[in-house]
Formats: sequence, C-alpha cells, structure tokens
Amino acid sequence: MTQEYWRWPESRWTASDVDCKKANTITAGVDVGAVSTQAVVMCDDKLFSYANMRTGPDSAGSARRALEWALEGTGLKAGDIKASVGTGYGRKNVPGAQQAVNEIACHVLGAQFMFGPSVKTVIDMGGQESRVISCNEWGRIFEFMVNDKCATGMGRSIETMANLLQVPITEMGDMSLKVEKEPEPVSTSCYALANSQALGRFRAGIALNEIIAGYLFAVAHRLCTLAGRMKKENDVAFTGGLAKNIGVTKRLERELGVTALHSDYDPQLAGAIGAALFARKLVEKPLLQTAGAR
Amino acid sequence: MITIGIDMGIENVKAVVLKDGKVVGMALVASGGAERSQSAEQAWQEALKQAKLTQSDVDKVVSTGQWRWDAGFADEDVAETVAEAKAAHWLFPQARSVIDIGADKARAIKFDADGKIIQFYRNQKCSLGFGLLIESMARTLGMTIEEISHPGTGKQNGISLNDRCGPFAELDAVLLLHDNVPRESIAQALSEAIATRLNSLVNEMGLDKEVAVIGGVAQNAAVVNALSKLMGVKFLIPEQPQFAGALGAALIAAS
Repeated sequence: MTQEYWRWPESRWTASDVDCKKANTITAGVDVGAVSTQAVVMCDDKLFSYANMRTGPDSAGSARRALEWALEGTGLKAGDIKASVGTGYGRKNVPGAQQAVNEIACHVLGAQFMFGPSVKTVIDMGGQESRVISCNEWGRIFEFMVNDKCATGMGRSIETMANLLQVPITEMGDMSLKVEKEPEPVSTSCYALANSQALGRFRAGIALNEIIAGYLFAVAHRLCTLAGRMKKENDVAFTGGLAKNIGVTKRLERELGVTALHSDYDPQLAGAIGAALFARKLVEKPLLQTAGAR
Repeated sequence: MITIGIDMGIENVKAVVLKDGKVVGMALVASGGAERSQSAEQAWQEALKQAKLTQSDVDKVVSTGQWRWDAGFADEDVAETVAEAKAAHWLFPQARSVIDIGADKARAIKFDADGKIIQFYRNQKCSLGFGLLIESMARTLGMTIEEISHPGTGKQNGISLNDRCGPFAELDAVLLLHDNVPRESIAQALSEAIATRLNSLVNEMGLDKEVAVIGGVAQNAAVVNALSKLMGVKFLIPEQPQFAGALGAALIAAS
C-alpha cells in the first residue's frame, strides 16, 4: 500500500474540566460537510466533547458515526442529549436532530463562541465551499458571500495536490512558507487549471516548496477577492479545515492586511458548535419566554 | 535486441523490457513526486529484474510521457502520441485509431495501415482530469477504484453529472450524495459524464472501426462500457493498458 498523502488526521477530544453530570442542558451539533463531518456535545455553555472525521458516502451514517465517536468513553448516551441540530450539506440527514440550520448562521454563532463576541467577519474555508460573512457582536448577519461556482472544491483539491506532489497534507502549509520570495500564484479561478499549472511547474523543476507556495497563494487570493467585496473589519475569524493550513492563513492575513483572531478551539468545529448552540436555544427558549412573561 | 521503454506519467512511472519483439518484463512505480527520477530508476531496475537481465544487456532506452525528460538514463525521448500509436499498431495490427485515457489528459490518434499518424486530438485545457477525477470521486464516495470502476446496472435514477468540468462534476456529486442518492448511481453517472466528454473529443474524428483504448482508465470497465455505447464501437483493449505508452517507447527503441 502506498502512502496516503491526502489523508488528514481524524480526531476526538473530551474536556477534562467539565462535569457532564452537573449539566442542566446537554445539546449536540453535527456539521455534515462535503469533505468532513464534526459532531460536538455541549454541557450548558461549555464544549464537552467532539469528533472530527471524514464524511462517508451517506450523510446520515456520517452524522451518526461522528456523534457516536464524540460520545465514546464520556459516560454519556445519545439519550442524554436534550436537543440536537444539523448543519452543512447533509444537515437534513442528521438522525435525531430537531432542526436543520444553514451553515452561515451556525458559523457566526460558532465563531463568536470560539473567538469571542468581537468577531465582525467570519471567513469559512471549507472543502467544497468558502464563505465570507459579516456580522455584529450580537450575531446579527449583515451580508455574506459564497464562492462562485467556478471556484468550487478548492479545499478538496489540496488533497489531490498532496497526492501528486507526494507531500503529506499536514506539512504543506509549513513547507509553503519556506520561500525567499513569494512566487506567482497558479490559476485563482479553477482548481483543475491550478492543479495542471502546479504540475507544469513541477515538470519545469521548480522547488517543491515554491510550487506549494504558488498553489496556496492562489487559494488565499481567491478568498481575499471574496472578502474584498465586503466592508473590511479588523476582527476577523478564520474557520473551516483550511484555517488549519498556515500557508493559507498567513497569506490571507498578509493580503487582507489584518491579524486574525486567535482561538484555542479547533477552527473546523465552528459549524458544529454553532449548531449545538442553536440546539440549546431550542431547549431554553420556552424558559426564556416564561421569563419574559413575568 | 533488448530495449526498454519508460513512460513517465504524472501518477505512475511504467517500464517495459522488450527482447526480440517480446515483452519480458514490466514494472509500475508511483511517480514519486519530487523524487520522480528515482522512481524511474526503480521502475526500470524492477522491470530488468523481472526479465532476469542486467543493465549492461540493454541496447537502448527510450522515454515518453509528460515527464519524459526526468528519466536521465534514457538515450532518447519520444512524444506520447508517437509511442501510443506505435504500441496500438503493434498490439492490434487491425486497429486504425487509439484513445488514451490517462490521469489528467486524454487523446485520440488516428493512423493508417502502416501505423503512420494521420490526425490526433487532445482534450481541451478546460476538461482536465480523468483518472485524477475518478480517484478524487472515489475518496468522496468512500469507494475503492475497483468498486467505482464496476459497470453499473444502468439505472441512474435520472441523475447526471456535469460532463464538461471536473470540479463541477464533483460539486454535483456532493449535492446528490447529501440528497441520499445511492453512491453506486453517482458512480455510474460519473462514468457516463466522463464517457460523454471523451466522446465529444473523438466524434469529429469519425472513429468508427477498430478502435484501441489504452491508458490507466482503460481498465475502468464502467467508463469504457459507457464510451463504447456512446460511440457504437467495440474496443480493442490490451491486457495491461497502462503499459501501452512504455511499450510503444520500447518498440521505437528497437526500430
């Protein structure tokens, strides 16, 4: 078996400082994306556990597996979850979810949980789609942009590139920063052309890190043109799988002239955390209404 | 006379050892990324070992493929088109044309009874990705290459994927997948989309008889069946179609 350079690490995590037995409301959020699926379990307003894995061929199965993995070894059972919400491409297929909420709303809610309420712009860089969302500190969304159809699958195409160049996908970001001078980007409009151009450079004997730099520069530049159509704010949060690629984030920061906010959470979780927070609203809404009536 | 052909593709390096008009050794090695010249070295050593020969027995080495200049030990290099026409003519003397379906490129070549090239077409820049698209889709659908290449029942539930653009086809597939369309149907639709794209490449050449199909994707029965149906032609496919380019290079070295 040859090495699978494209494969990124799947992960799960449980909080050590949260006692799920003391929690009033346990909720779950599941983000079934085109490439990856995340499930998170929240105890009241704290993240309790999560699982992050590749989306399989059926979205319902992926959602179920991710949630099972997130609950594994925690002592919690699926029955303990009071409410759950699905988001992402497969949001309508999350078993047991009370509601499906679109990704835009979930990413804003999730990003404000992870990066703090100061977030004004969320740049979500996913496997299939990328989005730029502008919002205020209360989570109200002003406007959002989704990539053109012609710029689809940019995150996913990095997997193909990793295989062709035979560089592990997790090392591409660091490698791309080891260049003296930023090379010209490859095609910024279509990943098939970008891949072909990158291979052309490869053929011409250009160093591997310069090829990857030109490739990731193109990815970042595309996101930047998307963000450029919007009002520029300083409190920018990067979310999604590509936010873990330092070669993309550094270039995006440079081109946008901002320093992105930092979070200790895994940026890929934003959608799922947002969904779990929505689920919490579903449970607590009746209480709030009663409180309001008093 | 002993000659070697090396086909330096973007995904795999293939080597064929030819001894007096007979194939005596074959090897396939992953293209090796930045270390592709080592992969080439490895491929021809392995092929030689299989043939129970040593380097000093070899009279001539000819390279072909997109990265043919990276096989430093080759005496000569030859364009893919020439090597492929040569191989198709040698494998199937009755053939008058050959379609090569590779990892990211496809071409169709028409030749005469002597194997002389009359005309050839390549895919447009904007329709890249054949084998690569299939691999990427296999990852998305959670299928192996064997499973995705298995010809379907022909029942597609009325779905189709974009047949012009790989990225669009992938987007269509993702949307269908999350609409709970069975992955077997999507795989079948992918094969038909690729076949439609290939058909539009060849239909103005008027390939109507004795067509050989080579390249890695020639092993994909789903794509080949769909293309055969669209073109109304039964194909001639060698046993190991991915080695055809290397074989052609070895034949050229011998001539």
